[in-house]
Amino acid sequence: MDYKPVLPNINDNISTDSPIKEALVLLSGVVVFFLIAYGVLGLCVDWAVTRISPEMEAAIFSGFQVPSKFITEENQPGQAMLQQLTDDLRECCDVDYPVKVLIAPSETANAVALPGGTIVVFSGLFDMLRSQNGLAFVMAHELGHYKQRDHLRGMGRGIVLTALSALLTGSGSNITQLAAPGVHLTQARYSRQREAMADDQALETLVCHYGHAGGATEFFKAMGAEHDSGRLNAYFASHPEGEARIAALEKKIQDRHFDIRDVAPLPVEVISK
Amino acid sequence: MEQLIIFIVLIMMGYFFGRMAESRHYRSIKEREQFWMTRPAGSYKRVSDPKRTILKSELVSGNVVISVDYFKRIVAGLRNIFGGEVRVYETLVDRARREALLRLNESCEDADEIINLRIETSSIYKGRRKQVGSVEVLAFGTAVYFEQK
Repeated sequence: MDYKPVLPNINDNISTDSPIKEALVLLSGVVVFFLIAYGVLGLCVDWAVTRISPEMEAAIFSGFQVPSKFITEENQPGQAMLQQLTDDLRECCDVDYPVKVLIAPSETANAVALPGGTIVVFSGLFDMLRSQNGLAFVMAHELGHYKQRDHLRGMGRGIVLTALSALLTGSGSNITQLAAPGVHLTQARYSRQREAMADDQALETLVCHYGHAGGATEFFKAMGAEHDSGRLNAYFASHPEGEARIAALEKKIQDRHFDIRDVAPLPVEVISK
Repeated sequence: MEQLIIFIVLIMMGYFFGRMAESRHYRSIKEREQFWMTRPAGSYKRVSDPKRTILKSELVSGNVVISVDYFKRIVAGLRNIFGGEVRVYETLVDRARREALLRLNESCEDADEIINLRIETSSIYKGRRKQVGSVEVLAFGTAVYFEQK
């Protein structure tokens, strides 16, 4: 009998499963794990921040330097006035932090609350606002963040996110990029929620300080006139869109029967020459 | 966002081009294997018919380096997290092994038999993050030429 060599019909050394299916299964596993871990650790952060006292926070962030890109020099015009205004507002929303206000010369119209109790106001804000009440609302909004400990929450969640992605993939791996948009969406939504709560708090503070709610929506109206971002961006934006925030504020003003009276003009110190 | 788009484009490119190259390679492999099938090649140290006179013997080798595509690299990266068979790399090794053997065969077209055949493999490129990027397979053996009857 002769031996007749033939090639095998089936290659047993390779799998015939669809690699795409495998990729999708593995990917969804990663994403699910990522989201669950992020959610759970996020809740842990929320739990932990309520237990950090202002003194403890001050101790933790005593070495925290306000990024130098914000600050060129102390004692910008209007600094004392703004500090006074903030201290007055602070009594209204019982934030027992020693809050320090710094003014950063910048085109940007914004303000940020940094860990350790420093609010940085970008001077572009003064060009956009017309009244002291409007300015007070912005400051009260940032104070609201302190009251809710949002600056700590934001930082804590940021740390969780970084730690998780490093844990999963080693730092800066391609796989992180796959999960990133999903996490960004939840992050943005969470942040929008916190912003809305800070708005609410700011409204209460404003009414407490001035006795009426005039100027509450001034900043958002001015911002809305400036630019209008696309539809998709709304999902990714960390701050609720201006229109929605104005509507929410107006509804609250109505519901709680707050007056709207004449607003005080913007202090002369901060009006740019 | 841009990063993600680049990433997805890379993955899709990796998948389509990788798949194209793979099926083309397999077609070529099957065709050539059919051609070389009848010449004995084995790992024995002696020739199959000791009675025949050996005219000449020589060392022959064939080697190949094949790279994995971007798509497979990502899937293997995900597989690294969960563990298990890295199925996407199977074709890579299979192709490299068979191609190396074919090249060895093609290097000695007139030989009557290949004996003492060995195959070695190594990953020669580990990439930036120590991931296996491509595989090298080296096949070597002794080509034997008999005196024609």
